[in-house]
Amino acid sequence: MTWVTWRQHRLEALWALVLAVLLGGSVGYVALQLSIASGSCPRTIGFSTCLSSDPFGQIAQAILRFNLAQYGLVVFPALAGAFIGAPFVAREIENGTQHLAWTQGVTRMRWLLVKLALVFVPLIAAAALVGYLEVVFLNVQGPQVNRWDIFDQQAPVVPAATFFALALGVAFGAVIGRSIPAMAATLLAFVGARIGIAELVRSHYIAPLMKTTHDLSAVGNQADPTAWWLGFPDYYDSTGHLLGNLLGPSAGQPSYVTQSFQPGDRFWAFQTIEAAILCGLALLIVGCAVYWVTRRAT
Amino acid sequence: MIAPIEATGLGKRFGRTWALDDCSIRVPAGKIAGLVGPNGAGKTTFLHLAAGLLRPTAGEITVFGRSPQGQLLLLLDRVGFVAQDTPLYSGFSVGDMLRFGRELNRRWDQADVEERLRSLDIPFDKRVGQLSGGQRSQVALALALGKHPELLLLDEPVARLDPLARREFMQRLTEAVAEEGSTVLLSSHVMADLERVCDYLIIIAAGRVQVAGEIEALLASHHLIVGPRLNANARLSGVELVKAQHTERQSSLWIRGPVPELGAGWREEPLPLEELVITYLSAPRAVTLPRPQLEEAAS
Repeated sequence: MTWVTWRQHRLEALWALVLAVLLGGSVGYVALQLSIASGSCPRTIGFSTCLSSDPFGQIAQAILRFNLAQYGLVVFPALAGAFIGAPFVAREIENGTQHLAWTQGVTRMRWLLVKLALVFVPLIAAAALVGYLEVVFLNVQGPQVNRWDIFDQQAPVVPAATFFALALGVAFGAVIGRSIPAMAATLLAFVGARIGIAELVRSHYIAPLMKTTHDLSAVGNQADPTAWWLGFPDYYDSTGHLLGNLLGPSAGQPSYVTQSFQPGDRFWAFQTIEAAILCGLALLIVGCAVYWVTRRAT
Repeated sequence: MIAPIEATGLGKRFGRTWALDDCSIRVPAGKIAGLVGPNGAGKTTFLHLAAGLLRPTAGEITVFGRSPQGQLLLLLDRVGFVAQDTPLYSGFSVGDMLRFGRELNRRWDQADVEERLRSLDIPFDKRVGQLSGGQRSQVALALALGKHPELLLLDEPVARLDPLARREFMQRLTEAVAEEGSTVLLSSHVMADLERVCDYLIIIAAGRVQVAGEIEALLASHHLIVGPRLNANARLSGVELVKAQHTERQSSLWIRGPVPELGAGWREEPLPLEELVITYLSAPRAVTLPRPQLEEAAS
């Protein structure tokens, strides 16, 4: 089975390796550059303050700006799901080769599970490695870095999303039986699920805290970049009357402000919860795919 | 003795259509059985049910006394299957295909498969996608024979081959199974492919078994008699009529069973196998015979 899996998927393995090396390499390279540049920067000042005064800062910022890896990290799971997951069973069905594979001396269940394990594990491991490099890259930037904006590009969530996308691809491929429609369905479902989770579900993992303060500038990213500030600040006048979300000439005299937020020390809990949700969904979908291949597919 | 394939009241429905309906078939051991019928008759469905690729909607099928659905693992080593259009991985070389067979089968005779392909001058380093249709089907056959199957199922293996390649394929097939004594069930919609090699025939049309039996027995029990034109509604006593055809001047009757006492002007004409098959296929609803092979089995 190992050889057969390798022979069938070696081209995909090569592509995934190239992509992972490019992503990992660029994240690692930028992280290295930053750590060199930040060597002389006291952690307490904050890295961005250092960068602007450091002669090497210009270079480091340029690297930061061109850090395509962050986009790559979002796209990697989707690509894996669409280009490796979706054709996984669909290509066999398209070519009629499932009738060959399923009438050898191996049951369909074993055929599917062994192949899935052999293809999924290295891909998820690669995603974990690249996601971990992104974490290293953020750590280099000091304690004041905003991790929430790049929530989807960090370690436990990236491999979990890769698992989820691959599972979706395999299941759609098995049920639809044709590669191209399965790829389209995988991409749509994956993007839909991720946006849905990010926009509707994520902020509820743990009940947010509410900050209420008379210091009108003590909310938002400028005040605490390590927190995830939810929605907009609500400004109130001294009588407790809501003025609105924006401070402007037409608004009355604001007295205090409230805004809900997730504090920075919850970040890893959120990563773990989301990774667990994605892995749970992925296992469920793999279960459906196994059911379909062993009982329904023809 | 346990029959290689035994189906009782077997039915398979896809959506609203019954691809196979109330089929009872017993394939006897050691025979090369032909499964013949027009396109869409249910041949592929039957073979897929026997190979464990499909689950029946009704009735049951056993292979060597076991269910290909429930106990497939016990059968996979004993049953070889060559699917329609002989699917192979077109990016694989011939050598890769052999390794595929070796890796996925516990019972595998590498030397035998290599020898088989060498004798056909099929190069091992050539990609499967570059092989001719004839070579491709020979590779598929060699792969299926690699585990020395006790039962070999072939779904229209020669449908896309030219006459020469057909003949060569059939020759290799018969040689191989003669050596091994395996049972073969081979489907085709072209009777000529089967006539030379089969000794048992199952005619299937519109999802139902029309007739099944040893070819010699089928030929001996069916007759074509031709005589003066009969009234189309004339009732014939003591004759099991398969089909009747009337022209202006004469009537032709295809009958099953002994030839009746022939009146003046009647004569018996030769009924070759191909014509017998066509007769059954052209009258699929007129005749559906009740499970002759099962009665045989019970006795």
